Amino acid sequence: MNRLEVLKKLETTLEMFIAGVLESETTRIATHKSIDVLDDIARDSLRGRRVHARLGNWLARSDIASRKDRLAEPDITRIGNLFQEIQSGLDRTDPEAKKLDDEIRGWRKSGVVPKRKLVVKMKSPVQSINTAENFTELLKKENAYLTDESERNPHLLSILDDALKSAAAKEDKMYLHLAGAIVYYLKISGYKIGPYAKRLREIELARQDVEHVA
Amino acid sequence: MLPDNEKSYYKALVALQNEDYLTASAYFKNAENLVAEDDDLRILHEATELLVAVKDEIAELENSKGNGDR
Repeated sequence: MNRLEVLKKLETTLEMFIAGVLESETTRIATHKSIDVLDDIARDSLRGRRVHARLGNWLARSDIASRKDRLAEPDITRIGNLFQEIQSGLDRTDPEAKKLDDEIRGWRKSGVVPKRKLVVKMKSPVQSINTAENFTELLKKENAYLTDESERNPHLLSILDDALKSAAAKEDKMYLHLAGAIVYYLKISGYKIGPYAKRLREIELARQDVEHVA
Repeated sequence: MLPDNEKSYYKALVALQNEDYLTASAYFKNAENLVAEDDDLRILHEATELLVAVKDEIAELENSKGNGDR
């Protein structure tokens, strides 16, 4: 057997080995593929894009609900968290969004994914959370968002515009902080930031009003 | 959102299903810390790396054979 024949035999053996491993993990891979698609939907939703059709398709086609008892706990948690992110961007005054939101609530009710975590609105009298750690986590999240955005659009002003839109539409404070950081960066780099700073201030005031009413 | 390494791991598996070994290898590298923690994944990653190397070697040999035949 010459060198080429040996290599070809090895190639076939490795391909068969990989196919065998994948075959034994078909269900797990199908779940992961499904979570990956849901994550793409969540990412687009966080960018303020309309995801109704894709989310509707995902919910209609997913067989996750029927396999809920066989799903690994971390996968269930992942799906629950992604749902939460998507729901935060759904406007319930829109009938289509309301229908999707209701469907996700149905998933939670029937126990397919964990019920929404309780959000404590009151400030704790004792600062038990490490603020420095929280800030580091926020920066990591912002970095991931920026990396993702920069791949699609290398212009910082466009990223700032998206961040401001998300800050106005979503509860997540990351967008507000990120927009503020970009505005300040532009300012110290000598750019004119008047209109952006004004938008940021308006969003900030609107949020303060909502929190005050709440 | 899912962490980037998890996302890469998912995409690596999809690439393997599509028999796109080179892409799978690149995604596995992005999910290095996840791969390092899981024995099954590490074997799958190493088998993929080896397969990519073998395919390269075969292509090279076939190329040089083709050139030699001319």
